[in-house]
Amino acid sequence: MNNFKVLRQFMKRNSIFVVLLFLAFVFTPPSRGTFFALPALQAEEEAGVELPQFEEGQAPEGEMVAAEGDEGVAEGEVPPEEEEEELEPVQYRTFFGLNPRDIVWIVSELHLMFAAFVLGVPMFAVLVEVIGFKGGDIKYDNMAREFTKLLSAAFATTASLGGLLAFCLFGLYPEFMGHMTNVFSSTMYIYALMFFAEAFCLYGYYYSWDVLKGTALKKWSHITLGVMLNLFGTALMFLTNSWATYMMGPAGVSMKTGRLLSLHDAFMNPLWMPVNIHRLIANVCFGGFVVGAYSAVKFLNARTEEEKAHYDWMGYVGNFIGIGGLIPLPFAGYWLGREIYSVSPVMGNIMMGGAFSWTFIIQAVLIGMLFIGANYYLWLGMGRIKGSERYTKYIKYLTMIIFFGFAVWLTPHNLPLSGEERAMIGEQYHPFSKYFGVMAAKNAVVNLIILATFFSFLIYRRSNLGQTVPFAEQGKFGKIGIFSGVIFCLFMLVSYAVSLNFVKLDANVVGYVKPLIKVLYLQSFMICLAGYLTFKNKGKMAQILLFISAASIAVVYFWFYGFLVMQKANLVLRYLSVTQVAIVMSCLIMNATIDVVIFRKAKVVGGIVWGKMPVRSQYALLMLCVVIVILMGLMGFIRSGLRMDWHVYGLMQDTSQWAFTPTLAYMGRVVGLIVALFLGLVAFVFWLAGLGDKKKKAAEA
Amino acid sequence: MNKTMLKIAGFGVAVIGFYIYVTMYVAGLSGGGAGGGATGISPEAGESIFWGDGQCSTCHKIGTSGSATRGPDQEGLADRAEGRAKELGLASGLEYLVESIVTPSKYVVEGYDDIMPKVYDPPIVLSREKILAVIAYLQTLGGEANIDAIMKYKDQIPEASKKKVKEWVPPIEIDPEAGKEVFFNEDLDVTCGKCHVVNGQGNKVGPELTGIGAVQTPEYFVESILKPSAVIVKGYETVYVITTDGLPYNGLIKSDSDEELVLLQEESGDIEEIVIPKEEIEVMKKQEVSIMPGNIGELLSVQDFYAVISFLRSLK
Repeated sequence: MNNFKVLRQFMKRNSIFVVLLFLAFVFTPPSRGTFFALPALQAEEEAGVELPQFEEGQAPEGEMVAAEGDEGVAEGEVPPEEEEEELEPVQYRTFFGLNPRDIVWIVSELHLMFAAFVLGVPMFAVLVEVIGFKGGDIKYDNMAREFTKLLSAAFATTASLGGLLAFCLFGLYPEFMGHMTNVFSSTMYIYALMFFAEAFCLYGYYYSWDVLKGTALKKWSHITLGVMLNLFGTALMFLTNSWATYMMGPAGVSMKTGRLLSLHDAFMNPLWMPVNIHRLIANVCFGGFVVGAYSAVKFLNARTEEEKAHYDWMGYVGNFIGIGGLIPLPFAGYWLGREIYSVSPVMGNIMMGGAFSWTFIIQAVLIGMLFIGANYYLWLGMGRIKGSERYTKYIKYLTMIIFFGFAVWLTPHNLPLSGEERAMIGEQYHPFSKYFGVMAAKNAVVNLIILATFFSFLIYRRSNLGQTVPFAEQGKFGKIGIFSGVIFCLFMLVSYAVSLNFVKLDANVVGYVKPLIKVLYLQSFMICLAGYLTFKNKGKMAQILLFISAASIAVVYFWFYGFLVMQKANLVLRYLSVTQVAIVMSCLIMNATIDVVIFRKAKVVGGIVWGKMPVRSQYALLMLCVVIVILMGLMGFIRSGLRMDWHVYGLMQDTSQWAFTPTLAYMGRVVGLIVALFLGLVAFVFWLAGLGDKKKKAAEA
Repeated sequence: MNKTMLKIAGFGVAVIGFYIYVTMYVAGLSGGGAGGGATGISPEAGESIFWGDGQCSTCHKIGTSGSATRGPDQEGLADRAEGRAKELGLASGLEYLVESIVTPSKYVVEGYDDIMPKVYDPPIVLSREKILAVIAYLQTLGGEANIDAIMKYKDQIPEASKKKVKEWVPPIEIDPEAGKEVFFNEDLDVTCGKCHVVNGQGNKVGPELTGIGAVQTPEYFVESILKPSAVIVKGYETVYVITTDGLPYNGLIKSDSDEELVLLQEESGDIEEIVIPKEEIEVMKKQEVSIMPGNIGELLSVQDFYAVISFLRSLK
């Protein structure tokens, strides 16, 4: 074989390698340091000045060659101009001439999105595996395995993006990263070690699926690996969250010098836990909707009824998990917002009343799309359930409630009006819509939408079930379930009511807290009553009562009372919002508990015909995925942008030319690009993950 | 790519496109924001700062402009400021405006919380010029701007530093252990350990320094050593005593009873205990001078000085 043939064969077999080699050759910088060098250094290099290539105090070996016209320098002597030359510490660099801020923005957001998927999916993969193992249904086990297959493919991309992000940060923002390293270096080593642990657990979990099956002990060992994977993943997220939240609310350092005083305080800064909780829930929600979209794509491309049924069921589970995360998410977001306000009123004002207030209108559009999309999918899903006809009459009312809530949520407080328009309506605010633009109204409708979505889910759940089973037949499970639900809700409501008695406020406003305490006790009574009615076989009535009480207090009464509080005792609004959340949460928890108990062992009416779903339902799943990804990008922009022109808020200022807050339109384009890149990468990674299956199927055929 | 996949991709692009459209639409609705435009000390520049960089509008509205209610409405402010100045005994409404910005907690309007930040401090960091411009603008709200009068208050407004804060780096890095030796070395002209306790070692004449490195900055150490009287820790102030015999004493109170006063006085680098019977005290006055020698900078070599700083920084 001649050399040419060998080369051709090599190129054929290693085409990717050859392409990479070619690209590397094309993009290899002509000389070291051209791209990342400071402009001053570049100029010097262009002028032909040789930079010192030796350590301080050490003379270069060999004879120095004097430049034309210069006096010669004796051997071993350091030329005077080089002695005087002192390199300024580098603050900022560019990325191949591109704006470094946008590069870091895009890479970090992509990394974050992949990381969210990699952290969110194992949570429910393990849960689904446990359900499959306990229930003995192999299809759950298969689904958990399919989730994990996606995970293992996405993990390498996450790690690569993480590496790229680290290089970008250290390369483009060396001074800032110097500070971060001074503060957090020890946690960075722990991060790296945790990453190893997560990788080992993930690949161990995925590749030992077949090995660790057969006996209960083996299966539990496998599940333990999954749990460990989740623990390491969560710990990793908590570590990185600390770095990000430190940038927003620095603690444990001298605000004058930036010197670390307490790593403990810097790590556990005031925003750390709120962001942890918010991201934890958001990741589950995100993972659920991405899995839903994956199933939708598979469903739309399915060739057999069996495949369709499988992916329809998988999409349903993905959507269910997504909604499960979506419902508590606004509450966690509210807590985070409140803590941001506490850390810095200036940052809080920028967020809700300043530069970022309009981004929340966009956020409202997206969250509205999520709730409407998720409900729409559930309602379409009822079509595949025989017996659901009993409940379809409620859908039109639910639609009205959700759209009304959406409209109020969208209404801005002050409309951007011209002088003429202002004169026409007589004031700055619209005489009618202004009441819908304030927090009191928005909080009320968010709770209304959540209650309506939960109701949607309840009727979906019941569609396939017949009459409730008498409580006496539920045995220990029923009693323990109801007792646990009541005690949990009472603990939540009463402990908060008691704590409100100790709120320190001025005498003229403290009286506005008392109604909150009263309604918390009223709701506690309703929870007890609901428990009692369930024991007396009146579980459905208990559920209706709970819905009525939660809607009356958290939506109707607090809407009105919220206005009053805003006008007369603004500081009480924060306690009112938490009370509102506690009441709605207690309703959801107790209602779900009762529903599980009273319909346990209920007869299945007609069964679910998996796969019998219209195509538009799958597009609803796709929309949910795209919207949650956009929402993540938008919220990432808000959270990070609140620092305005600070790397570390109030401590280390961004003095680069890129230290400005982008306009909404610019933000929209960058986030749009990030979303497109992420979805494109995900599609590619999933396609790669599916290649093995195709080969296997082809071999089997 | 098959037809279905094309449809899916198209759908995804459409949703992203819709989002971009919404952001562009909202950007159009909300406008480009204030902030640019006029510069220098003028009401016009002040107006753009009020609605832009200064972030004043996140708490204050002006009549029908803006919607914030956290702070008082600024409509007719200049006129109201004159009334407030009279009530508070200030020279003019302008002085009231300046003081309200320089020290926001000083005159909190009834019914509002004491939440206004110092705008020259982080995170807002408004420059002196910008603050003067805002004051000029505020003067136009119910009055007329008087730039000459405003400029008289120029020096009362702190200048914001926009420079990044850098960590203090000692000119010579010395091992803290070497600093410890200097700290307790009794052969030197000055021995810190004679008056300060560190981890149980030394004498407690001055404040204990155990763990000081965790709470104080290097700059504080440098200043405390070179200018010990600049900041005197509470409880360690000195008193000046003149006895009935006309003898003066200057020292730290060790104990003070009905019968006698025990003073710790520094004498040629050593601490002496002086007991003065109470009936012999003619004059006793609190001093603003520290008992710590003011010439440590001369008594320690540069090497030893930074060694002590290094030791103090390591005390965490």
